[in-house]
Amino acid sequence: MSTPDDPTANATPTTSTGGQQPTSTPHGGQTAAEASPSIRERLRNPGVQSSGGDTRGSDLTAGDFRQTDSRSELHAHGRDERQLSQSTPPVEQPIDRQVDAFELGRQARAERVVAALFLLSLLGTIGFVLVYFLWDFAFDDPDHVLYTPLLGITMALALTGIGAGAVVWAKNLMDDEETTQERYPFGSSPEDRAATGTALKAGLAETQLPRRKLLRNTLLLSGGALAVLPVPFLFGLGPYQNKEAKLATTGWQPGVRLIRKNGSPVNRDDLTLGAVESVFPDVPRGTKLADSAALLIRMRPEDLTVREGREDWSLDGYVCYSAICTHLGCPVKLYEQQTHNLLCPCHQSTFSADNAAEVIFGPAARPLPQLAISVDDEGYFIARGDFSEPVGPSYWERTS
Amino acid sequence: MSRSTARPRRKLNQYVVVLVGLALLGGLYTALAPRTTAQEEPQQGSSDQSLAVKAGRDLYLQGCSTCHGLNLQGGAGGPSLIGVGEASVVFQVESGRMPLANGTVQAPRKDPKYTIAQVDQLAAYIQANGGGPTLPEGSLTDGDLQEGGELFRLNCASCHNFAGSGGALTYGKYAPELAPASARVIYSAMQSGPESMPRFGDGQLSVEEKKAITYYVRYITTATQPGGNDLGKYGPVPEGLVMWLAGIGGLVVMTLWIGNRA
Repeated sequence: MSTPDDPTANATPTTSTGGQQPTSTPHGGQTAAEASPSIRERLRNPGVQSSGGDTRGSDLTAGDFRQTDSRSELHAHGRDERQLSQSTPPVEQPIDRQVDAFELGRQARAERVVAALFLLSLLGTIGFVLVYFLWDFAFDDPDHVLYTPLLGITMALALTGIGAGAVVWAKNLMDDEETTQERYPFGSSPEDRAATGTALKAGLAETQLPRRKLLRNTLLLSGGALAVLPVPFLFGLGPYQNKEAKLATTGWQPGVRLIRKNGSPVNRDDLTLGAVESVFPDVPRGTKLADSAALLIRMRPEDLTVREGREDWSLDGYVCYSAICTHLGCPVKLYEQQTHNLLCPCHQSTFSADNAAEVIFGPAARPLPQLAISVDDEGYFIARGDFSEPVGPSYWERTS
Repeated sequence: MSRSTARPRRKLNQYVVVLVGLALLGGLYTALAPRTTAQEEPQQGSSDQSLAVKAGRDLYLQGCSTCHGLNLQGGAGGPSLIGVGEASVVFQVESGRMPLANGTVQAPRKDPKYTIAQVDQLAAYIQANGGGPTLPEGSLTDGDLQEGGELFRLNCASCHNFAGSGGALTYGKYAPELAPASARVIYSAMQSGPESMPRFGDGQLSVEEKKAITYYVRYITTATQPGGNDLGKYGPVPEGLVMWLAGIGGLVVMTLWIGNRA
């Protein structure tokens, strides 16, 4: 309901119908704010019945349907306008819960349920404390498997007991009247706005800026120059040539040994037939380089199909590929020694390790880059150079 | 020539004839007499060993020779077993994969048909014929648990899952779950490289490292789960599924309950 000092009332001063006694006067321009009394108003006047609900866009008047409580009001919201205009107004049925015997019994039951839930919460808290302090827990003891689950269950009881009790309480014992809270008008009051404007003007006068042209001009000049400052950051994003070099090269260089995760070099006699080994370049932080991980595979030399131009890339059935999938960069290390399939676990891209890691299944578009290998004088594997092409997923600046 | 010199010579000739005859007889006997079988050569070792080989041979002829051939040479049904070693026998037979019930893309784990003692006898027989990868002496679950975990995640986890729950490979093949595998089966799998699995020889992973891995696998697959249900230890996918269905589903139910009128 509108009050005289409500700003919305000023906009439409003649439509203050109020909620006390719904009138039968047609009232098309009524707004929601005016139609339903505010929550504060209702609290102040509990005996007052609310008028009709939101009638925006409808030619209904507030008096077309007189409602007794918000439940029927909500009910009316659910119908469309045509039904509303044709329906007969609900009969006024004041509900006084205090005199309803059935209601009294229901409330008593609800009260007991709420109390029981609160006591359940108490039990949960006591149980949690007891389990925590009295149980001499030892990790990995089969007798103590229930320790953590019991802590969780008792804590859940302690929290949900109170929560569920509060919900039952609110739903069964408290008034379930639907109320509408009005939104406060946006913007400050005219007095505040005027005061702020005065203060700003006084501040400007205090700086003497309108008078001192030199200060004003130099300030404008330096401020304008400041706009140029972010431009160098744009250059920091490029140039693309460096980016390409960074993405296209890894830690492998000619003559770099193949080492295991623990740093030991791989000898040509170490692997048996059908063996695989995760290898890294023997450079500083080599085992931490995310783009350099590779897989060394040994198969029968007659099983290996050697590509033209890659005759000296493999050695006695030893072949080495990048372990990073060319699809989305997952580690490709699932090697089947009988079929020579290399499988990526993420999207089942399958590479043929015995045939230059060609894609034979899955979403990967390019074969795994191959690392040309050889052995040094001591019989340890060395790389003959970097990978044949950039490792990992495709990117825009890729040249191959 | 005088008689006195001629008589001794005749006598000498007789000796030579007898000697040659004896030598011929002996040579013929050694050439024609039934030879001792090659399998009995390891008799130089302990007699227990030879008994195990003999018992293993009987078991082999009865249960395995139909597919693998009477002389381990292989056949239509199975590969040659010469040189596969005792590690392969322990893995295949102790895990119940052999004898194979029917041909599938991969031999599934079954209830073992042979006792541990019989597996050892079969392994002794196969090992005595062609050699191959063996199992080391002493306890197989031994060593540094932490190092075993490192090596497991580096070498095994890509296929068998970080907790040994197994995973899929290509075209219906799979890396099996490791929880049902005994320490001998785990070690022998690394040692022999069965089916799709790569082989991890002693040059790549030392005996100690393989023992540490075996120890770690047995540990994570038998350790208790004090955190409650591990959801198969498959990682974020089942955990996320449970959170979406049970967690968010529960929240929706609670919201509906709170929002409903009494």
